[in-house]
Amino acid sequence: MNFVAIKHVTFRYARRQPPVIDDFSCTLNKGEVVGILGASGSGKSSLLRLVAGLELPEKGSIMIDGMMMVNDGLYVDVENRGVGMVFQDYALFPHLNVVENIAFGLHKLKRAARKERVQEMLELVQLTDYAKRYPHELSGGQQQRVALARALAPKPSILLMDEPFSSLDASLKTSIRSELRQILRKAEMTCLLVSHDAADIEAICDRSIRIQKEMAEATA
Amino acid sequence: MLPILYVLLGLFRPTNENWQIVKQYLLTDYVLGSAKLVLFTGFFAALLGVVLAWLVVGYTFPLRRFFRWALVLPLAVPPYIAAYTYSTMTSYTGFIQSTLRNQFDIKLPPGTIEIMSSKGAIFIMTLFLFPYVFMLTRTFLERQSASYIENARLLGRSRLSLFIKVVLPLSRPAIISGVMLVVFEVFSDYGVASYFGMQTVSTAIFQTWFGMYDVDSAIRLAAWLLIVIIGLFVIERFLRRNRQFNATTSQSRPLKPQQMKGIAAWGATAFCSIIFLLAFIVPLTQIIVWTTWTYHKIWRADFIDLMVNSLSGAAIATAVIMIIALLSARTARMLSSSLAYGVSRLMTAGYAIPGAIVAIGVLAVFIALDQRLSTVYEWLGKGEGALVLSLSLSMLITGYIIRFMATGYNAIESGYEKLPRVYTEASRTLGRGNTKSFFKVELPLLKGAVITGFILTIVEIMKELPLTLLLRPFNFDTLATRTYQYAIDERIYDAALPSLLLIGISLISVLLIVRLEKEK
Ligand SMILES: Nc1ncnc2c1ncn2[C@@H]1O[C@H](COP(=O)(O)OP(=O)(O)OP(=O)(O)O)[C@@H](O)[C@H]1O
Ligand SMILES: [Mg+2]
Repeated sequence: MNFVAIKHVTFRYARRQPPVIDDFSCTLNKGEVVGILGASGSGKSSLLRLVAGLELPEKGSIMIDGMMMVNDGLYVDVENRGVGMVFQDYALFPHLNVVENIAFGLHKLKRAARKERVQEMLELVQLTDYAKRYPHELSGGQQQRVALARALAPKPSILLMDEPFSSLDASLKTSIRSELRQILRKAEMTCLLVSHDAADIEAICDRSIRIQKEMAEATA
Repeated sequence: MLPILYVLLGLFRPTNENWQIVKQYLLTDYVLGSAKLVLFTGFFAALLGVVLAWLVVGYTFPLRRFFRWALVLPLAVPPYIAAYTYSTMTSYTGFIQSTLRNQFDIKLPPGTIEIMSSKGAIFIMTLFLFPYVFMLTRTFLERQSASYIENARLLGRSRLSLFIKVVLPLSRPAIISGVMLVVFEVFSDYGVASYFGMQTVSTAIFQTWFGMYDVDSAIRLAAWLLIVIIGLFVIERFLRRNRQFNATTSQSRPLKPQQMKGIAAWGATAFCSIIFLLAFIVPLTQIIVWTTWTYHKIWRADFIDLMVNSLSGAAIATAVIMIIALLSARTARMLSSSLAYGVSRLMTAGYAIPGAIVAIGVLAVFIALDQRLSTVYEWLGKGEGALVLSLSLSMLITGYIIRFMATGYNAIESGYEKLPRVYTEASRTLGRGNTKSFFKVELPLLKGAVITGFILTIVEIMKELPLTLLLRPFNFDTLATRTYQYAIDERIYDAALPSLLLIGISLISVLLIVRLEKEK
C-alpha cells in the first residue's frame, strides 16, 4: 500500500476560472523523495497547498500514512494533518529566535523532551552556534536550514518543500543540495519537493513527476 | 451600526407639532448656517492646504524641512479650544487690544476684530483643519508626481501655470480626501459654532434635544444631516473612482524640489511662518501664559478625578474598539476581496458621522432597551420605568466605539496588509490551531499596529466634545467637557490648564502620525 495517495484531484481558485489542477493523481512510498517539475504557473505550489490542507480540492481524495485527509465528505484541518512544510521564502517567524522557531511546533512535548528535540534538530542542520539569533541575522542558507529544522522537528509524516532554493545564489545551491539530501535520508523522510530547475530535482530526488504542459497552458 | 439605522428610520416616523415649528422658523437658518460654514471652510482649507503643500514639496526655501512636518501640528489644537483662545485674545481686554492701547496708544474702534461671528468661525476652522488637506496632498505630491511635474518644468511652464495646470488636477484625489475630512469635522463640530453663537444643524440638534426636550425632532434633524453626509460619502467615492492613488507606486521616485532664491524664497518662509504662528505657536503660547496664571487654582484633587475619568472612559472604549477591530480585520482577511471591502467600509463609516448623530442614535436605542428590560428591572426591585442602561457609562462608551471604530480599524487593517499570510499558514502546518496561531504569531507581529491604533484612538476620544456632552452620565466630566464648561462660563483663564493638557495629549498622536509617515 502506498504511503501517500493523491487521487483524481481537481482544484480551482475561483469558480469561474479554469481549474489550476485537473484530475491529478500520484503516489509516494514511505521514505521516498519525489520531485515535482513544471513550468511557472503550472500549479506546483497549489498542489503542495492541497496536500498540506491549506486549500480544499473541488474533487478527489488525498490519503497520507493510511489515513484519509480529504475526500468528498471529509476534511482534516491543516493543524491535524501532521504535515511539515518549508515555504518558498521560509516564513520564519521574525519575532522568534532560531530555537523558538524550531520549538514552535513542539508544543505537545514536555519541556525537557522539547529541549532535547530542538538540540537534536540544531545538530542535524548544524546551527548549534546560531541558536539565539533572530531570522534577520541569518544568511539565506542558514534561514533555509532553520525552516527545514522547524518543519522536521514535530516528526511530520511527510515533508513538503516549495522551491527551497529559490532565494539562494547559485554557488550556495550546490553545497546545500547535497546537504539537504543527506538530512532527508538521515531522517528517513517522505518528501515532496517542488522546483522549476530539473538539476535540483536530479540531485536530491529518487524520481520526479512532471505537471503536464497542457494543463499549464489551460491555466495561463 | 444599529443606532445609525435607528436615526435613519426617524425619517419615516410621523412628525409632531414641534417639528412643524422647527421646520417653519428654524430649519432654513440651520441649514444655511451649516452650508456656509462647510463651504467656506472647505474652500479655504483646500486653498491653504494645497498651496502650502506645493510650496513645501516643489521648492526649496529656508526652513522648508521644518515646515514639512510642523504645518501638521495645528491638528493637535482642538478647534473649540482655538475658538475661545482667539476670541479672548482679540477681545477688548485681551492681549492684542490692550497691548496696542497701553504701549502704542492705539484704540481700535469696536468691531474691528470681530472673531465672534461666522467669519471668525470659518477663520478658526480653516486654520486648524487645513493640515488634513496639507498632509494628504503633500504626501501624494512627494510620492506620485515626479515624472509629470518634471516634464512640465522641462516644457518651460511658468510657476503659476504649473500649479494650476499640472499640480492641481494631478493631486485632485488627495485634495478631495483631505477636504472631505475637513468637511466631516466641520459637520461634526459643536464647540466652535455654539461658542460663536452660530446656528448649524449640529447645534440645532442640541437645542431641540436639551432646549425643547424634543428628541423626535432632534432625531429627524440628525437623519437629514445623515442623508447629506451619506451623499457626500458617495460623491467622494465617485470623484475618486477614476484615479487610483497607487496607480504607479512601484516606479515612483521622489520629486526634486526646485531652487527658489531671494525674495521669493524668503516670501515662502514668511508665509509658512505666519500660518504656523497663527495656527499653533500663538494660541499655544497664550494658553501656556494663562495656565501659569491659574494652574494653582485649577490643579486640585478633583482635577485628578477629571483626568482619571477622561482616561478610563477612553481607555475602555479604545480597548473594545481594538478587540472588535482585530476580530473583524481578521475575518475580512479570510473573506473574498469584495466582501472584505464591504466589511472594511462598514467598519470605517463611523468617522464621517457627526458625534451628535451617533449620540442621538445611541440614546434612542438605549432607552428602547431599558423599556424592553423594564420587567427585569422590576423583578430586581428597581421600580417601574427605571432607566438603568441609559443612565450608565456604557451608553457613552458605546457612542465612542461607533464613532471612533474607524481609527482603530484602519491601523489594524494596514498592519494586516503588511503581514504576509504565510506566517499563519506556517504556524498551522506546525500543528497550531487557528486561535493559537492568532495569539502566538499574528498578535506579536501586529504589536506595532495595535499600539499605534490604540494611541490614535484614545487621543481622538479624549478630545471628543459633542458626543461626550450628550451621552455622559450625570456628573461625569472629562477634560474636554470641563474645558468647554469653563469656556461658556466665561472662565477662559481657568480653561487653560485642561486645554493645555488636551493639546499635549493630541500632540502625541500627531507626532506619531508624522513618524509613521516617515517610515512608509
Ligand atoms: N491565491 C490565488 N488566487 C487565485 N489564483 C491563484 C492564486 N494563487 C495562484 N493562482 C493561480 O494558480 C495558478 C497556479 O499557481 P501556482 O502558484 O500553483 O503555480 P506554480 O507552479 O507554483 O508557479 P511558480 O513556479 O511560478 O511558483 C497560476 O495561474 C496562478 O495565477
Ligand atoms: Mg510556486
